[in-house]
Amino acid sequence: MIREIVLAGLVAASLIAAPALKILPESVELNGPEARHQLLAEALSDGRQEDWTRQVKWSSSNPKVAEVDAAGLVTPKSDGLAVIQASSNGAVASVNVRVKGTQMPFTWNFRNHVIPVMTKAGCNQGACHGALAGKNGFKLTLRGYDPEVDFDTLTRQSVGRRISLSDPANSLVLLKPTTVVAHAGGKRFDPKSLEYRVIAEWIAAGTPPPSEKDAQVTGLEVYPPSALLKPGAEQQLVVRAKYSDGTVRDVTRWTKFSSSDEGVANVDDNGLVKMNGHGEAAITLYYSSRVLYSRVTVPFENKIDASVYASFRRNNFIDDHVLAKLKSLNIAPSAPATDSVFVRRAYLDAAGILPTAEEVENFLADARPDKRARLIDALLEREEFVDYWAYKWSDLLLVSSRRLRSNAMWSFYNWIRDSVRENKPWDQFARDIFTSSGNTSEMGALNYFVLHKDPIVLTENVTQAFLGQRLTCARCHNHPLEKWTQKQYYQMANLFSRVGQKNGDAPGEVVVYAKTTGEINHPRLRKPLPPTPLDGIPMDLGSTDDRRIHFAKWLTSPDNEYFSRSIVNRVWGNFMGRGLVDPVDDVRATNPASNEELFGALAKDFSSNGFDVKRLIRAIMSSGTYQLSAEANATNQNDNKYYSKYVVKRLPAEVLLDAMSQVTGVPTRFANYPAGSRALQLPDTQVRSEFLSAFGRPNRVICDAGERSSEPSIAQALHVINGETLNRKLSAPDGYAALALKLGLSDARILDHLFLSAYSRFPSEEEKRPMLEELKKHRAATGSTEVRREARRQALEDMMWALLTSKEFLFNY
Amino acid sequence: MFRLDADKAVEFCDGLRRRDFLHAGSLSFLGLGLPQAMGLKAMGAIDKQKENRNCIMLFLVGGPSQLDTWDMKPNAPAEIRGPYKPIKTNVPGIEISENFPRMAKNADKFALVRSMYHTAAAVHDTGHQMMQTGRLFQGGIEHPHFGCVLAKVRGPKGDVPPHVLLPRPIGNTGGNMPHGQNAGFLGKTFDPFVLNADPSDPNFKVPDMLPPDYLSALRVDRRKNWREMVDKTVSKFETSQDARLLDSTFHQAYTLMSSQKAREAFELSREPEKVREKYGMNRFGQSCLLARRMIEAGVRFVTVNMFETVFDEITWDIHGSKPFSPISCYRDLVGPMFDNAYSSLLEDLSERGLLSDTMVIAMGEFGRTPKVNPAGGRDHWPQCWTILAAGGGVRGGNVVGASDEIGAMPKDRPTTPAEVAATVYHSLGIPLDLELPGAQGRPIRLVDHGVEPIRELFA
Repeated sequence: MIREIVLAGLVAASLIAAPALKILPESVELNGPEARHQLLAEALSDGRQEDWTRQVKWSSSNPKVAEVDAAGLVTPKSDGLAVIQASSNGAVASVNVRVKGTQMPFTWNFRNHVIPVMTKAGCNQGACHGALAGKNGFKLTLRGYDPEVDFDTLTRQSVGRRISLSDPANSLVLLKPTTVVAHAGGKRFDPKSLEYRVIAEWIAAGTPPPSEKDAQVTGLEVYPPSALLKPGAEQQLVVRAKYSDGTVRDVTRWTKFSSSDEGVANVDDNGLVKMNGHGEAAITLYYSSRVLYSRVTVPFENKIDASVYASFRRNNFIDDHVLAKLKSLNIAPSAPATDSVFVRRAYLDAAGILPTAEEVENFLADARPDKRARLIDALLEREEFVDYWAYKWSDLLLVSSRRLRSNAMWSFYNWIRDSVRENKPWDQFARDIFTSSGNTSEMGALNYFVLHKDPIVLTENVTQAFLGQRLTCARCHNHPLEKWTQKQYYQMANLFSRVGQKNGDAPGEVVVYAKTTGEINHPRLRKPLPPTPLDGIPMDLGSTDDRRIHFAKWLTSPDNEYFSRSIVNRVWGNFMGRGLVDPVDDVRATNPASNEELFGALAKDFSSNGFDVKRLIRAIMSSGTYQLSAEANATNQNDNKYYSKYVVKRLPAEVLLDAMSQVTGVPTRFANYPAGSRALQLPDTQVRSEFLSAFGRPNRVICDAGERSSEPSIAQALHVINGETLNRKLSAPDGYAALALKLGLSDARILDHLFLSAYSRFPSEEEKRPMLEELKKHRAATGSTEVRREARRQALEDMMWALLTSKEFLFNY
Repeated sequence: MFRLDADKAVEFCDGLRRRDFLHAGSLSFLGLGLPQAMGLKAMGAIDKQKENRNCIMLFLVGGPSQLDTWDMKPNAPAEIRGPYKPIKTNVPGIEISENFPRMAKNADKFALVRSMYHTAAAVHDTGHQMMQTGRLFQGGIEHPHFGCVLAKVRGPKGDVPPHVLLPRPIGNTGGNMPHGQNAGFLGKTFDPFVLNADPSDPNFKVPDMLPPDYLSALRVDRRKNWREMVDKTVSKFETSQDARLLDSTFHQAYTLMSSQKAREAFELSREPEKVREKYGMNRFGQSCLLARRMIEAGVRFVTVNMFETVFDEITWDIHGSKPFSPISCYRDLVGPMFDNAYSSLLEDLSERGLLSDTMVIAMGEFGRTPKVNPAGGRDHWPQCWTILAAGGGVRGGNVVGASDEIGAMPKDRPTTPAEVAATVYHSLGIPLDLELPGAQGRPIRLVDHGVEPIRELFA
């Protein structure tokens, strides 16, 4: 006890003392006379980082080697070593700076200097000269993705007017952006700027062309990679590029910045971040077709007792990561969900069905401590589990009779269904699709190729479905906000240029086989490129091996993070209401996860345990996080991305329709399907259903999770109020209302049953009383027995309608 | 079959007789009865004289070519001026393409802005965002459509929604970005009422607008009350926006159902056949006619999307190759479709005395390349295009701005999407310095400081 007080005192004392100061980055090397490096002075105060870069006093131990200005910018003077020091109020920090190559001859490099200058100045952006058609006859490659082409454009076209070797200052590339000559794009930089000097000196040096030997960017790093800041704080970022020649350079000045959430943080052109709200934002950095981000956080102003976190139920590693995030943001988790909430939620999320009244009663009465784990295990073995996930993967693979004959659609669907039933590992599932050959009626997976006859569409949908990457932009130019280049796009597409298809024996049957010829040309280079899976290893153009096998190997390799992340995010989103990356199928580097540590851990766990989807589902459902209540506390009202509570979600269209069928006891009739088929058992989204269309069933036309909609609409309300679907179920002669009356059940018994089957709980007395009163009041006072019975039946139907259109029914909570 | 029918006075145990639900009529449109208490002093500044101003926005999805429509360059080389010839209009000095003969007779009713441009990426989606909200979406913030802002500031008039979108939202146009057709940060409560049906369909009606005949009005009313009883706010739904929105969609559905006037507004069959034909018996033509009926019924803002996508459909998006459209469609299909619908709408509104209070703005998301491409089409060109404005204080027969000799760049009075936003808000009488509540309560100005309406339009 005494010891704790002493310790607490020490902690308090250290908070009052001068904050710890350090300089970022921790080591700096300057190469050549034009190298510059921004330093950051970071102080730690009250557990938050503070950027003191502009308030410390900077000094150099050896100004003859390296100078530092008041803003922390280091300039080389001669080769050697200098120590740069930052001091403020008694706090001191220092960093060693090595200077090299100041005597070496220096010229600006087209690829590594001139292009970045033009990119940052916006010359080659999509709306200006980077447009597909260029601008006013001057066309650059978008964001400088092809320096060779840009060099040619600048130096050889327009009979040399763009560049004047004899008089650099008279070059159009300098006259225009400084508006000495009228420029529709306005003023981009000043004649006194570094931008101007880079281009002018490069011209004066005789416009040295880009060369294969130029150092290439191999990666980016950012300082600080993450920062826990105070409200309203400012934070300068420093971005460094690592090059193939081993050098590391400060490229902050040439980096494009953007914020993932401007409600939390803004960033200006120079990389200065300003926090203007609470929460977390990712600052995206874009340099030379590379992207990275820095995470900046201002915790919410909540007072949360340590016991709140201590009582959070931690069942597996998911909970550790969620808890760490909630602590860092100062958000308290909601209380654990009750058994009746859990049982309903588990049935809906895992199998797309409601538990029956009997199943609910049994679960609630079960006293075994591990009953939730048992329930999860049981659900994973149910036939409805197979229905639900087969439907989900059919959405993903676009199964429908729109472009497949009925027999082909069934063969495709049945293959998916069988795969789910046997819990086929996800890598095997993908390999089956991409490496099989033969008849589509024997191997249903092959219909994926029949649906995607165009290799371009196939390339885009495959990357969307299995990698969560949207490649479409790169079809015509480098992806503007991603690392994918147009070259990578066509290298990837060329993997699918040899998928042969011919008619089988029966209509709708196709034989898919690997051809040994066939190429897809890069549209600008007008030649095929070596088939290469995105960032994988190229195949020899001359090889006659099945290119799809090369692709599948790369796709399903445990090292291919996109593959496991993509499916993990989809499964996570199914249960948690929102993907760790949102939207659930947009897993690009510039769209950071709301909990990167958790995302990484889940993906790794998945890929190192045999890509076992059921295992992943079990881990998610078993976590304390999944089992939290949906009811908010004072601190997590607005949180819908850090999983501090269960995110309430509307039942998907098919699940909702099936649930209405189940509670009313009246199945939905689907034309050409056997009586009793549930909506989730349909292999096809072309089956006509006004209900399903109104409630957002996807068309399975484009591979996009956004095709399914769960937003409420007036059309939905009109349909349940006036439409045929629900009204016919309620009034059916063999429906629950009619049956209950035939059995002579009391209103109270009926209500108990309806609450159990619709809400998975008993009604409270306060809820029941007014309902019973209303039912009584609406019994007919006069008339024949028949009239009275009819009046009671109608009242019961109307009460059921009220229950089945309530929020508690329409939502999963 | 036995029916408890409202017409037969049925007595209940509580001794009451119930009124016909459909005549209840006491519902107002969602919690929107009054303008939202925005706690902003700017509210007081709303122009009282313009309280009844409306707007119809015709969105010309795909991006009309300025050179083949309303900014002809007959003296430019053949590869620039394209296949069409200019014709004179009823306003001396204004010439438009021969594809729009009826517009030529109505040029005194509308004004042209021939110097539109934007600087974002030349994809459809960016233009959709900017032309419908005035802003490019960055950093995760989705800005609201003009009509959604009006819904928030003014609320509904009568039993109809304040903002209706016809016939369907803009779908996939290739960019995977939001199109700026929703309420964005204002919240889904202010999203438009979306028709989601084709008004040119012979069987067109808003689905499920009335109860089936086996369900008496009385029972519909009872169900409504019981649903409210059952659905007493459970705390777990308080923080779910979708759950809150569900309540308002039910409320809106009941309001629509219970108003005869609102129901009839959607019934195109009430229009004489001649009138329907005048607008063109196609999706866009009938949507424009429906837009007029909406305004007459009290809708404040109607958005009509001329097309839903640019793929595999004949639209303004004339790249000249599949899956896009050929330039000839301006003569054969798209041009006449627009000419008839637009001219009829202006004529009708004018005859009925509605034009002075209803701004009709027609615009695409960008222009098209001055030079005809090898496929005989024109590609995206956000550097310069033309939009049309009429009514709501706009002086007809008026040309604002000009492009250069090949329609490539604004030569005179370059005009941005933000200025279009300011112009629409100005016509509607919403002060430009109004602050809307953004994420975490951060106020977001209606338009950025310094952005002004295109005042020449109103001069």
